Amino acid sequence: MRQFSIFLENKPGRLASLIDVLAKNGINVLAMGIAEAGNYGIVRCLLDNEERAMTALKDANMAMNLVDVLILELKDIKAIVKKLEANAVNIDYAYTMDGGKIVFKVNDIDKAKAVLSENGIKVLN
Amino acid sequence: MMRSMRSLSRHEIVKLQDDRLRKLVKRAYESSPFYRKRFDDSKIKPEDIRSKKDLAKVPFTIKEDLRDNYPLGMLAVERSKIVRMHASSGTTGNPTVVAYTKKDIEAWAELNARCLETCGVSSNDVVQVSYGYGLFTGGLGLHYGAEYMGAKVIPASTGNTKRQIKLMKDLGTTVICCTPSYALFLAESAKEEGIDPKRHLKLKAGVFGAEPWSETTRKVLEETFVESAYDIYGMSELNGPGVAIECKAKDGLHVWEDNYIVEIIDPNTGEVLENGEKGEMVVTTINKEGMPLLRYRTRDITILNDDPCDCGMAHSRIKKILGRTDDMLKIRGICVFPSQIEEVLSSYEGVTPFYQLVVDREGPLDRLLIRVEISEDFKSDRLTDIVDLQKRLEDEIKEALSISASVELAEPKKLPRSEGKAQRVVDLRKI
Repeated sequence: MRQFSIFLENKPGRLASLIDVLAKNGINVLAMGIAEAGNYGIVRCLLDNEERAMTALKDANMAMNLVDVLILELKDIKAIVKKLEANAVNIDYAYTMDGGKIVFKVNDIDKAKAVLSENGIKVLN
Repeated sequence: MMRSMRSLSRHEIVKLQDDRLRKLVKRAYESSPFYRKRFDDSKIKPEDIRSKKDLAKVPFTIKEDLRDNYPLGMLAVERSKIVRMHASSGTTGNPTVVAYTKKDIEAWAELNARCLETCGVSSNDVVQVSYGYGLFTGGLGLHYGAEYMGAKVIPASTGNTKRQIKLMKDLGTTVICCTPSYALFLAESAKEEGIDPKRHLKLKAGVFGAEPWSETTRKVLEETFVESAYDIYGMSELNGPGVAIECKAKDGLHVWEDNYIVEIIDPNTGEVLENGEKGEMVVTTINKEGMPLLRYRTRDITILNDDPCDCGMAHSRIKKILGRTDDMLKIRGICVFPSQIEEVLSSYEGVTPFYQLVVDREGPLDRLLIRVEISEDFKSDRLTDIVDLQKRLEDEIKEALSISASVELAEPKKLPRSEGKAQRVVDLRKI
């Protein structure tokens, strides 16, 4: 599962219109975080149907892209940050997800996956 | 006939200009009460004007003169000889009316035919005219030109974009004439209809005018819409389109100098500037019969260049219009042209050529806000990439304008589109 990053203007109604597009197309939001800077921001989210979401967002003329992220268990967080630090993997940003999960965007996902699996930490996606 | 006027030598042009100027001044004095009074008031006799350099003695004609003499006070012929009247939009006060004799209409058609021919159009071409038809001269002017040369004309006018695209496809349009902002809109709309203009249409030339546009807009139009984009210049007071056109060298627009004498002046002092200097274009219509104008202030800012052109034509060139003295925004005392901003924006990946300028005042200070539309192709999950794009735009705009402006990024397709002239400037200052 990859993360959608969607450019939105930072004003009332914009997030509502995004949610509306997703709802109309039967797409569920599994996790979401918003980063803002002045009059705009990026909505980062995990959606349950990548292909359908892509088409729907394109049709709605939204500027977006897809990146690989890690979905991890929140209970492992102590070990995760420690192991990543020890292996010089940077965590660019993170946000939580329903069901005791956390989403990490790292600078080197392959290395992060390798480090985590060596240490028996479960990656959920 | 047509070809011979395009290929006049420099010497022939100058001789023809002086000859026609003398005749015009005499006729204007004899037949136009307006110009007779102007000459008498300034103590000038028609004989004082022998050549282009004497023109500086003649007072300017301005748009307000046309309004003050509304509707037909500027005629230089009997009213019975007029066969056509066009009028500009009169958003403030009276509209400006321009009147044509039969000979004027024919001359206008021939000038537009010359323009099209200069863009490589021939009688085999299918020319879709998507300028407005009616009181606006754009549609009819190009229509006459295309018909004059025997091309196949589609008088599409503006609007109904889906049908425009269908006609282009089904009738095999090879030449499109419209405003550059409408061209961008057509290209975008075609894409939405699943038509890639470069693959599915056969547009070899686009003749774009009626508003200033930049080299970078040309790049976009040539990459996405037409094989070759040409700038055409004109205004209804000077017939309409067909005053000047780009040749294949695309290094300025050739003015048909056997019909128009161009001077460049300092808009503040009225002083005539040297070739190569930037200023307001002033035009004398030496071949117009119904309503000739002497030293008409176009309010368009450009540079005149009479160096030989690679294309071989000896008609002098004006630079692409850099802006208008009345579109010119004075922000914190500095002259700003929207075209300067457009030039910066369109050199950037990640933003579209659509933008909007909002000027307002905070306390005693003018503020310029530039709303820029992010492109759907802008792909990043990192806020820093967007902040960086915004900052780079702000820096480069500051560099280009010598004043600072804030850039606001808008979502794709959120800024207003227009089917005619783009409404790009919103001035909220209360003066």
